[in-house]
Amino acid sequence: MKFKSTLALAVGAAIAFSAPPTVAQENKTLKVGALVTLSGAGASWGRGMLEATELAASKYNEAGGIEVGGETYDIEVIAYDDSYKANEAVSAANRLVYDDEVKYIIGTVGSAPILAIQPITEKEGVITMTLGFTSEALSPEKPYTFRPNLTTAEVAQPQIDWVVESQGIETVGALFPNDETGEQIAKDVSASYERAGAEMSAIEFFERDQVDFVPLLTRIMSEGVDAIELDGNSPETAGQIVQQARDIGFEGAIIRTGGPATAEIVNVAGAEAAEGMFVHAGLDPSKDSVNAYITEYEETFEHSMNGFSPFFYDGANMLFQAMQEAGTVEDTDAVRKALESIESYEGVLGELSWTGEDRYGIAHQIDAPFYVAQVRDGKEEIVATCDIEGCE
Amino acid sequence: MSFLIIQSLVNGVILGLLYLLMAIGFTLVFGIMRVVNFAHGEFYMLGAFAAYFAFAVAGLPYPVAVAGAFGGAIVLGAIIERVVFRPFRGDELSGMIASIGLALILQNLALIAFGPDPLSMPSLVSGAYNWGGIILPKSRVVVILGSMVILAIFYYFLMHTRTGRALRALVQDREIAAAYGVRVELMYPLGLALGAALAAMAGAFMAPLFGVSPFVGGTPLLKAFIVVILGGLGSIPGAVIASMLLGLIESTTSTFFGASTADIVVFALVIAVLLVRPSGLLGHKEA
Amino acid sequence: MEKSTAQTGVTQASFWTVGRGAFALALLAAALFPVISGSTFHFHIAIMICLAIIATMGLGVIARVGQLSLCHGAFVGVGAYTSMLMVMRLELPFMAGVVAAVVVTSLVAALIGGPLLRLRGVYFVLITFALNELFRLVMLEFPGLSGGSSGIANIPAASFGSLVLDEKATFYPLALISAVLVVALVALVDRSMIGRRFSAVEENITLAESTGIATARTQNLAFIIGSGIAGFAGALMAHYIGFLSPETFHFELSVSYIIMLVVGGRLALWGPVVGALILTPLPEFLRGAMEFQHVFYGVALIVILSFLPNGLVSLPDRLARLGGRK
Repeated sequence: MKFKSTLALAVGAAIAFSAPPTVAQENKTLKVGALVTLSGAGASWGRGMLEATELAASKYNEAGGIEVGGETYDIEVIAYDDSYKANEAVSAANRLVYDDEVKYIIGTVGSAPILAIQPITEKEGVITMTLGFTSEALSPEKPYTFRPNLTTAEVAQPQIDWVVESQGIETVGALFPNDETGEQIAKDVSASYERAGAEMSAIEFFERDQVDFVPLLTRIMSEGVDAIELDGNSPETAGQIVQQARDIGFEGAIIRTGGPATAEIVNVAGAEAAEGMFVHAGLDPSKDSVNAYITEYEETFEHSMNGFSPFFYDGANMLFQAMQEAGTVEDTDAVRKALESIESYEGVLGELSWTGEDRYGIAHQIDAPFYVAQVRDGKEEIVATCDIEGCE
Repeated sequence: MSFLIIQSLVNGVILGLLYLLMAIGFTLVFGIMRVVNFAHGEFYMLGAFAAYFAFAVAGLPYPVAVAGAFGGAIVLGAIIERVVFRPFRGDELSGMIASIGLALILQNLALIAFGPDPLSMPSLVSGAYNWGGIILPKSRVVVILGSMVILAIFYYFLMHTRTGRALRALVQDREIAAAYGVRVELMYPLGLALGAALAAMAGAFMAPLFGVSPFVGGTPLLKAFIVVILGGLGSIPGAVIASMLLGLIESTTSTFFGASTADIVVFALVIAVLLVRPSGLLGHKEA
Repeated sequence: MEKSTAQTGVTQASFWTVGRGAFALALLAAALFPVISGSTFHFHIAIMICLAIIATMGLGVIARVGQLSLCHGAFVGVGAYTSMLMVMRLELPFMAGVVAAVVVTSLVAALIGGPLLRLRGVYFVLITFALNELFRLVMLEFPGLSGGSSGIANIPAASFGSLVLDEKATFYPLALISAVLVVALVALVDRSMIGRRFSAVEENITLAESTGIATARTQNLAFIIGSGIAGFAGALMAHYIGFLSPETFHFELSVSYIIMLVVGGRLALWGPVVGALILTPLPEFLRGAMEFQHVFYGVALIVILSFLPNGLVSLPDRLARLGGRK
């Protein structure tokens, strides 16, 4: 008898010590969907987005949950894979919305998948945060969709103005994948070069699984271009193009106006071939918040961080803050309005607000600082600091 | 303009040789086993990973890395023949469907084990030879010289050894080969093992050129498909000619008309050849 | 000895009746499942199963003359784009779009079937693989028709006059009835003279030829019927999903139909039904980790090919025989 009660005491004590002290009663659960690409091409981006969301959620959970409208919730992230395919995304969205009954979805990675799931999410009032670069993702008819990352449309003009002027570039050649992202970016980037006073003298499209670019590069080089633009290409492809261009003796500038992926490009191309390349950088490594995030990310997940990840960490945190301000997790209309009204949010990336009224008809596009960097010894070195107005 | 023509022809020949290396194992496996091996690209991918771990991680010399990929694939290929393909000997369609299953398994196991990110494969050499304006990237020259050596050894093995002759006999006619005492029981695993090993070696050689990730197998499979359709299923001389043809068409069409046109031209040609000469340019007449 | 054989005969027969009854009950339960659960998500899965059944039934018809098509996904695509164009460009009603989809895919099949079907075995597989790639590349090249790589969104939902089936629960009856009709059609074909010719060609084409069967025409007919059914599936898919892009009709889609057909049973009437019923919901059990699901697909494919070459539908028969042997 005595033994039993001692045991009970010991067990009780063990439970009391192991449980977080703040949890007095059972927390409710707040489900957040992550509809991202986890297999096939695009999986690096998807993993970066998912893990950013998990990291943001775990911060709240470790502190005992997120408090919204007097209730405390544990955040549960439900991750589904869309394999970068529209049909798979529709199935996963149906499941998230109707079966798991989530009100918030982080995703999708691709443009086609977001366009394919919007009929469901907008109809049911589910807030989505997508990476998809298509300009059609944001519109006044789609009030529940937000984009927490910069796209080429935002960064192209200021960056290209700066590069064209500082490097004295007159003619540019470009290679884009023959898919929805490539098409969109080709349009944006060409217009920006024209406006900056340079001529886009050769644009090439290729199938996404192509690995040999020597013929296309030969064609572009025969036009005698000063620079090659690689925005819109997957990190692997961009890396291969950089390597092959340098291999066949291209000496002009190589520019990547959007898509933070410098580490992967250097991985594939090698530091030597990538030397001197101008890249878009979303992060300023001299910022403490950025360094802290990278360190924490790499310690938590034990692999390197994808460049889009911090955007979705900040995005998820802004979403959680919006819920707290709206005082509800159920009424997504109120949360959406609270999210819209967040201004000058202090995130990992710096000061964040919403923009895009002019371009998309709705201010659901993140406005974040960004940078032009040059690759030195395989690392980014920031050469200009930009906002949507311009670079210096 | 004439400079551009010469350069694009040179590019085409180089590309053709790379494609030949990608395709040769595929055509061998079909010749011996009558299996259209959809898992061919995954052996290429495994070879690239093997080279990455041996060369970039463990710091072994590059030839050792390639040899390691080759040896590993021989063993894996022979095991897979026994476990997966054995029940389908003589049943072309079932064997092909099984290879689709095998490809799914191998690619996704690699994805689980190695993650989706491309790995950093250092290049062996950089820069280019410049002969009067005609440019030859050194990295490609190295791959081509290396693969020439391998293909020469392979050719010697096939033409001048007992086992090689037995394999060739099997490609030509299995019943006669069996009647002359070729040990079919041994030749089937050997055929798949060699095919897998040639693919893995191609992957190991081309890792510095085309990268290392679980998804690198797609392109070699597609190119091997096209080469083998054009050249004739199972025909090794056909594969040589078709690789060159494919390299030259891709190179010249993309240089003068653009890459999308090149893809459409290639597929249209494939369909035309299949319709007019289903056995390929140099295949045996049988279809 | 004789007695035991007779007994086995009896048990086998009763096994069959019980088995069939159980199978029919299982099908009915599966069909009613979303209605009972009332979950919108279950309706969605049930609709996807019906669409997969229809498309795979078509592939099964082509398999009945001994050919395995790797461009079946492209035919689904032809049907989807045809119906989308009819409804969105010409503003025809949904039904007209569906009819046009079936007619156009059948015509395309009739046009290319002649030269294509001279090839047999792996050569046919290879050319259909090339055709599937060509279809996708050509669609990407003509954005005016296909919306290019950005795809086409906001395709109107299925409708009959003022009855608009834009809810999952309302579209489901249409999908279910369509699937039942297609199964019935294939059953009719199987029992007819044509069906017997199909299997004669499948078993031994030379023999069939020598007994006076017009083998080329027979194969063409199977190809036309199978592809027309694929077009029907495509039209339904376009108006249900509401979004089309050439990437949807990547050759992986054709491969997925082949997997369903082989797993279910290549030549059996109920093969595609069983295959689609098991494999379509399967991703949902591993939605967070699709790579494991693909590994499972691969293993399932090889195991079933090795041990049940006639697919899962032959399992009861195999079990009965095993039981009989005891």
